[in-house]
Amino acid sequence: MKISLDLELKDVPGQLVKALEPVSRMGGNIISVVHLREELGKGRVPVHLLFEVRDSAMLDAIIAELERRDIWVSKVGEFKKKEKITLVLVGHIVDTDIRDTIDRINEIEGVLVADLKLAMPHPEKESSALIDIEVTRPEKAKEALQRLDSVAREKDLLVIRSLRS
Amino acid sequence: MDIQIIGFGVIGQGFVEVLLRKERFLKQRYGLDLKVVSISDITGTAVEGEGIDLRRALEVMRQTRGIINYPGARKMTGVEAIEAFEADAVLEVTPSNIQTGEPGLTHMLKAMGQGKHLVTSNKGPLALRFRALSDAAKKNGVEFGFEASVGGAMPIINLAKVNLAGDEILAIEGILNGTTNFVLSRMAKEESPLEIVLKEAREMGIAEADPSYDIEGIDTAAKLVILANALMGIDATYRDVKTQGIRKVTPEAVKLAKEDGYAIKLIGEVRNSHLEVAPRLVPVDHPLNVDGILNVALLQTDVAGDITVVGKGAGAIETNSAILSDIISIALKRGLG
Repeated sequence: MKISLDLELKDVPGQLVKALEPVSRMGGNIISVVHLREELGKGRVPVHLLFEVRDSAMLDAIIAELERRDIWVSKVGEFKKKEKITLVLVGHIVDTDIRDTIDRINEIEGVLVADLKLAMPHPEKESSALIDIEVTRPEKAKEALQRLDSVAREKDLLVIRSLRS
Repeated sequence: MDIQIIGFGVIGQGFVEVLLRKERFLKQRYGLDLKVVSISDITGTAVEGEGIDLRRALEVMRQTRGIINYPGARKMTGVEAIEAFEADAVLEVTPSNIQTGEPGLTHMLKAMGQGKHLVTSNKGPLALRFRALSDAAKKNGVEFGFEASVGGAMPIINLAKVNLAGDEILAIEGILNGTTNFVLSRMAKEESPLEIVLKEAREMGIAEADPSYDIEGIDTAAKLVILANALMGIDATYRDVKTQGIRKVTPEAVKLAKEDGYAIKLIGEVRNSHLEVAPRLVPVDHPLNVDGILNVALLQTDVAGDITVVGKGAGAIETNSAILSDIISIALKRGLG
């Protein structure tokens, strides 16, 4: 899991190393460190840290060690970068219950139909829709596309996916 | 180098035209004297040990549409001609058949069995029996050139086998059919339905009277199989490809995609031994977004990274660039003058 941590360090030499050393030693993989010296307040320097840990037990151990070293941890968050999948559907999208199609994608945890543009040339003709789906993790994208493929098969819709590369 | 031509339609006649045009060039640059010793089509076989009069052969075809009308031609099939006459190589360019591979498959196996090198643009037999054909070439110690079977003039097979010889091809994706690319490009430009654009393509000679072979993705699937076999060592046949054509693509779908920065293209893709042909959204700034009758292929390799090739995917003359390149490389490799 990817973790974002906001720390506040004492404004004395050696503090940054003191903060990073346990993260690395205890198994965390540091991705980025932003040292915000210009935002010095309350005599402390804010530092924004992004790193990967294996699980929450490893994270808890790192935070406990930082606090033991008198480093203030002001904010902990799991960093979730959203990924967007764009695709086009063609067929009787409205007649085959568009609400149901969207719901069945949305019911997967971490997957959301974020945008849909529909073009209907004539009520009896096939319509086309451009859909943006947001997913929180790459493996969710695969799950969302599999779900969509099975719904499309059932409703005889053509799915035009984005190029893989 | 003595050559037998089996199949004398658009591609076969195109070869003869190119040969006439390049005769001096081939002699000067490679010291190569290509002699066509027999030409067979469905009507019969023309044969001349000293070399067929190529201008005359073209003239006969223009006037009568059958090589049997060439002076001295015999009522003899392609197979019989391969058996009866001496030659270094056979150029097999009969019409492609994706159901049985015939008559091309028999011609090819017969030619190789006779110890003759084989050059072809005929996809059907390769898409169905690639492994059998390459095994036959090895067993008989002959060369097997099929650059023209994929992507017309676009050099891809020899590019990967020769220039990228040290690379492993991890994935291939591309537009391998000029007709569908023309149709989708026009749909995007004119916002017209597929049927209208297809009619226009037929009038321009870009689509055949029955374009289902192209539109349903069958042609792309056949080419994809050849690439998967030849460049990635995947023992697949045409029946292993998951194929979805472009028949259902609407002008509204093309327009919505365009407004969002995408083009819809019929893409053939092989990755992790999975072969698929389907319409895909291609970002407009992506190297695979080429328009008109162009073909394009992107090779993902382990050392060189991504390599993209673009070229004219069809045409009697253009396809013969690939045929000629196979013939020249066989002649040079085997020391045939």
